[in-house]
Amino acid sequence: MLKINNLSAKIENKQILNGLNLNVKAGEIHAIMGPNGSGKSTLANILSGKKGYEISGSITYQDKDLFKLEIEERAHNGLFLAFQYPLEIPGVNTSNFLKTSLNAIRKSNGKKELDALEFLKIIKLKAAELKIDEKILNRQLNVGFSGGEKKKNEILQMSLYEPNMVILDETDSGLDIDALKIVANGVNSLRDKKRSFLIITHYQRLLDYIKPDFVHVLMQGKIAKTGCSDLALELEKAGYEKI
Amino acid sequence: MIEELKNTFDKFNKKISIKDKIVHTRLDNFNAFAKIGFPGKSLEDWKFSNFNKIISKFKNIRVNLEEKIELEFNNFITEFEHNKIVFVNGFYNKHSFEYENEDKIVFDFLKNGPAYKASGNNSLNLLNNAFFTDGLLLNVKEGYSFQKPLIVYNVFKANKNNNFFNHKLIINVEKNANLELVNNNINLNSEPIFLNTSNFFHVEKYAVLKLFQINHLNNQDLNYNLNDATVLENGVFENFILTCNNEFFKNDVFCFLKENYSSGFINGCILANNNEEHEIKTFTKHIGESTKSYQKVKSVLDKNSKSIFQGKIYVDSHAQKTDGYQLSKAIILDQNSEFDSKPELEIYADDVKCSHGSTSGNLDENAIFYLMSRGLSRSDARKLLIKGFLEDVIETITSEKIKKYFSKRLSILLNEYR
Ligand SMILES: Nc1ncnc2c1ncn2[C@@H]1O[C@H](COP(=O)(O)OP(=O)(O)O)[C@@H](O)[C@H]1O
Ligand SMILES: [Mg+2]
Repeated sequence: MLKINNLSAKIENKQILNGLNLNVKAGEIHAIMGPNGSGKSTLANILSGKKGYEISGSITYQDKDLFKLEIEERAHNGLFLAFQYPLEIPGVNTSNFLKTSLNAIRKSNGKKELDALEFLKIIKLKAAELKIDEKILNRQLNVGFSGGEKKKNEILQMSLYEPNMVILDETDSGLDIDALKIVANGVNSLRDKKRSFLIITHYQRLLDYIKPDFVHVLMQGKIAKTGCSDLALELEKAGYEKI
Repeated sequence: MIEELKNTFDKFNKKISIKDKIVHTRLDNFNAFAKIGFPGKSLEDWKFSNFNKIISKFKNIRVNLEEKIELEFNNFITEFEHNKIVFVNGFYNKHSFEYENEDKIVFDFLKNGPAYKASGNNSLNLLNNAFFTDGLLLNVKEGYSFQKPLIVYNVFKANKNNNFFNHKLIINVEKNANLELVNNNINLNSEPIFLNTSNFFHVEKYAVLKLFQINHLNNQDLNYNLNDATVLENGVFENFILTCNNEFFKNDVFCFLKENYSSGFINGCILANNNEEHEIKTFTKHIGESTKSYQKVKSVLDKNSKSIFQGKIYVDSHAQKTDGYQLSKAIILDQNSEFDSKPELEIYADDVKCSHGSTSGNLDENAIFYLMSRGLSRSDARKLLIKGFLEDVIETITSEKIKKYFSKRLSILLNEYR
């Protein structure tokens, strides 16, 4: 699904990633943990196509050269990033935005665009499944949302677009236990043989609900250690210093 | 240029004025105009514009003398039902008040008079008083609420001999009466026009006048529009302006909150593109107590264009408990566009709440990235952000149907954006 080969990235002459390798196969869940500032979001942003980094190395996604795909083409090809800090977009109705974006993705895949009614049916169903309050749909996109509401909105988008490769960037940070369960449910209900997840997290708490196949530790710009889900528990106890 | 205009005026006056008194009053106005000339940069109200340069491109100012024109205009707005009045090339053409009780409305057209006294030093208003061909005189009687909005269609089909138009709306909304008025200027030809309008509104006690301005003009057209509103006790004047597609478009809005509890709302969206220059200038005068005013103007600028917001709030020493709010924001999409903002507060009362603010900047790249990561093209992401930015002003419109219309019109206009 996703193969990262010797990835290095600099921003403003600061080396952030330094020879990172990662191989995510279809159906796998990988967790990435690492201290603050270790470059987790940078990795997520590069995967989504954010500009402004000096990059070397290569990434193949579904056998394509990822760097040849524009930001929106990556979304069209089923790559989805739940942002660590979702942006507030004033004046844009959440429901309209979700419809516009879903239709952009559908259109690029040769699927029929949904009309307002068809869309409403789907979004209401998804919100109900995830136990997300429908009220956020009629508000301006993320504007004045609490931290938890923003994260839930990201999960709602994830389940709406049904992507192939999901990257969650600290979606669990700052969530209470109920919201955490919503996130975990969202992931678990999408989990299948064809879909892969890269879950960036700070705490092993989320991994109590989502069992990863691999846990990686990101330090000094590369994967410093890889293990199974027990590694997360170890890190929780001993911290990153021992790595 | 003024010399030439004088010759044109003499011919025009002879033809249009039917009474001596009108001949003289129009001449007074022309002479007063000629003394000042077109507004120059040295005038405080015009300091951000170079109107003399703009008007000088208009080599050939010609006034319409022909009243009859073969044109059957039927391209009405279809989004909502409305009453209509059509003016073609500055003269009354037809009307329909099909949704209204005509006993409750008094209206007339201005072609045969009266004339308006030469006063003040607004030279374009003086010029309008000299040259106006026609216009609407409307009185909405006490307690009557228009069932549907009234749209004034100002349709132009100009040619080289016929490119300078002066129009007026003189509207009185009596006690407890209600009117939603839409002014829609339409230029059917590509020949550039100079449209100069002076509108006067009187909003009586507990009356509401909502005035919406739409333009379907071309990007070589010049447009100066004066709105002068006086609002009495508990009356409301609401003005929304959408500017687009004019080479030059200046809106001069005066709002006199003369009596207690009156309020004035002047909001606008400015879309300036391709070397255009658009301005909304407001002057709100709080005279009565507990009066309220609100101005929100947002501009989107691209391709070497310019937008200007000048907002003056004057609070008289008697106008205690004034509530004033003013906000002006701009998104500047290229390096060469310019946004000038001049808020001005002049406050002589002590129990007053007044706030104002102004910001400008480009679109947020992180927001564009967020939207693109959801599958939107760069161009669609930009448009969505711009629409969202302006939607905030559209939201101030208190008539649902008209709000919807403007929102749709905005989307259409933004389609042309990068
Ligand atoms: N736009 C930027 N300009 C300069 N430094 C940046 C920028 N973005 C991130 N960094 C730096 O890169 C490092 C990694 O950041 P980030 O990827 O956000 O870490 P993490 O998500 O692991 O906490 C940090 O030291 C951060 O300060
Ligand atoms: Mg981060």
